[in-house]
Amino acid sequence: MNTSRPSPRRRSPRRALRLVAGLVAAAALAACGSGVAARQGGSGEPRQGGDLTFLIDSLGDTWIPNNSAISSFQGHIWGHVTDKLVYVDENGTTSPWVAREWEQNETATEFTLRLREGVTFSDGTPLDASAVVANLDVWSKGAPDKGINPIGLFPKTYQRAEAVDATTVKVLFSAPTLGFVPTLGYHGSILISPKTLALPAEEQADLSNDIGSGPFTVESWKQGDSVVLKKRPDYDWAPEALDHSGPARLESITYKIVAEPSLRTAAVRSNQADVAYNPSPQELASFKAQGFTTAAPRYLGFVSGFAINTKVAPYDDPRVRQALQHGIDRQEIISTVYTEDWLPAKSFFQSTVPGATDRSADFAFDAAKSAKLLDEAGWAEGADGLRSKDGKALELTLYPNPYLATSKSVDELVAQQLRELGFTVSIQAFDVVTYGERVKFNSPSVAAYEVTRSIIDAGTVAGVLTDANRGENWFGLGQSDPELVRLSAAVAGSSSTEERAPLLDELQEHVLQQGYFIPLTQIVQRLYVQSPKLQGVTYNGVAYANYYTAWLGE
Amino acid sequence: MSGGYGRYAAGRVAQAAVVVLLAYAFTFVVISVLPGDPVTSTLRDPQNGFTEEEIAAIVAYYGLDRPVHEQLWESLTRFLVGDFGVSLRSGLPVADLVGEVLWSTVVLALSALVVALVLAFAVAAGVRCLPRGQGVLRAFPSLFLSVPNFVIGLLLINVFAFQLGLFRVIDSEGPTATLFAAIALGIPVSAQVAEVLIANLDHESDQEYAAVARSRGLGRTALLLRHLLKPSSLPVVTVVALTVGELLGGAVITEKIFGRTGVGSLVERSVTTQDLPVLQAVVALAAVVFVVVNLVADLVHPLLDPRVRVGAAAARERAGVAR
Repeated sequence: MNTSRPSPRRRSPRRALRLVAGLVAAAALAACGSGVAARQGGSGEPRQGGDLTFLIDSLGDTWIPNNSAISSFQGHIWGHVTDKLVYVDENGTTSPWVAREWEQNETATEFTLRLREGVTFSDGTPLDASAVVANLDVWSKGAPDKGINPIGLFPKTYQRAEAVDATTVKVLFSAPTLGFVPTLGYHGSILISPKTLALPAEEQADLSNDIGSGPFTVESWKQGDSVVLKKRPDYDWAPEALDHSGPARLESITYKIVAEPSLRTAAVRSNQADVAYNPSPQELASFKAQGFTTAAPRYLGFVSGFAINTKVAPYDDPRVRQALQHGIDRQEIISTVYTEDWLPAKSFFQSTVPGATDRSADFAFDAAKSAKLLDEAGWAEGADGLRSKDGKALELTLYPNPYLATSKSVDELVAQQLRELGFTVSIQAFDVVTYGERVKFNSPSVAAYEVTRSIIDAGTVAGVLTDANRGENWFGLGQSDPELVRLSAAVAGSSSTEERAPLLDELQEHVLQQGYFIPLTQIVQRLYVQSPKLQGVTYNGVAYANYYTAWLGE
Repeated sequence: MSGGYGRYAAGRVAQAAVVVLLAYAFTFVVISVLPGDPVTSTLRDPQNGFTEEEIAAIVAYYGLDRPVHEQLWESLTRFLVGDFGVSLRSGLPVADLVGEVLWSTVVLALSALVVALVLAFAVAAGVRCLPRGQGVLRAFPSLFLSVPNFVIGLLLINVFAFQLGLFRVIDSEGPTATLFAAIALGIPVSAQVAEVLIANLDHESDQEYAAVARSRGLGRTALLLRHLLKPSSLPVVTVVALTVGELLGGAVITEKIFGRTGVGSLVERSVTTQDLPVLQAVVALAAVVFVVVNLVADLVHPLLDPRVRVGAAAARERAGVAR
């Protein structure tokens, strides 16, 4: 998978460009062959027309593009109203979209994007180099004078972009940023008309003013209720990786909020809607049995798991962290809380992330090994089965992630498993606001922070593990673990995927063996139940359903 | 007398203004003492990956890093000139947000009220007029009160939308969907009205004038319509005024289940996200509604019972003399 991504290492720009184009074409073909659309059957002749109804639990809070682009809900709308510079498919393969090709210098600090000609926003403004520069600037810096955020995961090494001519953009970074191009396919990197970006935040918050270049435009919307999209007839710049060109087949898509999950699925069952988003995992089997299509596409990012704060005793002791690492039965989590659509974690990355390796042996469930590690660390088992040392109990508090519906059930099971090993586990569940306030990385009361995060490129990860370059310092280690510092810096500074691959593997091995990150399961954050009439749906690298290619059959 | 009434009216309006202002300020204080703020909590979503400096810049833009009393003063002075500010979550003007959902709530609340009154009067009339089955009918109010309206709502949707296809969940604000939402919201309210109505009808029916009417050979229905209904309806007005809160509060769940927008769902979203400007505007609006409804109830009483008019006029006159 690594080799299919554009990575011209130490080659002349011209040669690099040819290589990129060739690899991209191969990747596009591979993507077409292995896409979910193909797996879903997509049988029958594609038909034109039809109105799709998609029932969703929420449509998020704000439509200011930068402030909402990475929302799990609004991403559905942006994915149809806007385009991106590159396309990242469900396997993490990057291919051309609005950027028809790109090249980078040897140190991966300077990138040149060549844009497709003739692309326009739906307000008639050309999507040219100056429009791309305006978007890159706002992703990177936001507009603090308007209260508009930057895109948090956009590379912090971004310096500036310049329009060389109408279709060429040069982008400069202060340090090697190999993840730049894949990040352009991330759900936050949506291209918006410069006219919209110039509006005050209050007007950008009105979705009707947010102009993109995508295959659909906003026909109407009502805050907290629905968004109706209609097809753009002159759309003709879809990613080559999708097996369709020209305008969308569907006439319109209506996203309607139905907060109650059972009503969403019942509406699909009774033919009142075509898709229900986020059904309960336990419902999937019965839907499949009745002939409905279900989809649980995996996104690119971290698996669900705990980042351990090594400053909090007793988790400053590697043996205790390793005991935790081997004390969790992940298979039981999948069979109890989830269904077969969930996969066990193989590393701290989802296995679709390019560069993720199978490190499952480093955190295999082994209760005897955990018990031995705890004995060695001096945590003796009492008469009640709970361990203590110098009169102090072996405690762990879990804070279920309020952004993940199943987190609490998983934590309850984990607590049960760890109690068997002698841990005294408590669970504190908070709502989103309180959680944001009380549960933070590096907080002395949070030994295990439950992480979810989608990323497109594994290279961006190095930035969070230590405190280098304003990194988030997930494990509270700062610069104290020389091996982690060395590997993180080497991964972040790599200028080609070939150079980076072995380093990434070492980094995964080190983080898992040291018990810094305790994986639980791979995440399925987006679930779909859909009518059998709906065909030809594709899913991108962050698990969003794309209905540009879809049609409604008989 | 007219001067006295003018002073009375001015006093009521002034009281109302104070209630609204206090509600506005109280909401601010209550939300401010809670930990966190909507901007920070959104930015801290681990998906976002913001640095502390980036978060601080946005928090400073919204003035959320300033002392609470400064924020309250600014908010109050803006409110007094009719500026409700901007929602911290959506970025949209609060007046637009509230204005957009108000009509939907008014339609639902009024339809639910009509449903509640029709049901209550039907049950009460049944109790008085039907020759048998009164025991069963008398049990209706307690049955209606004890079934939560989300259960009624889910049942109605499952049977009438999904099984019989009478309305579509996607067309949640169409007339048929509104009618069923109004039934779900109106049933518990009808129970309270019916209870009061039945009790009053029983009381009036024991009065001498009712016995005289019956001895003249008046039938059950004629007795109810000609003599019992009007005096029994007076307390109903008070109950209806009190149920306004329930119609707004119960609307949160009904709106959610029926997929409608409205003040209820706006409040629910604003509370869970601590969207203070929206919450303050809605609380102020609710205070206005309560004050107005109570005023209207006071004005309707004298129309139904002349004794109230005399009493009120006398009270006002006494108040005028005292001043």
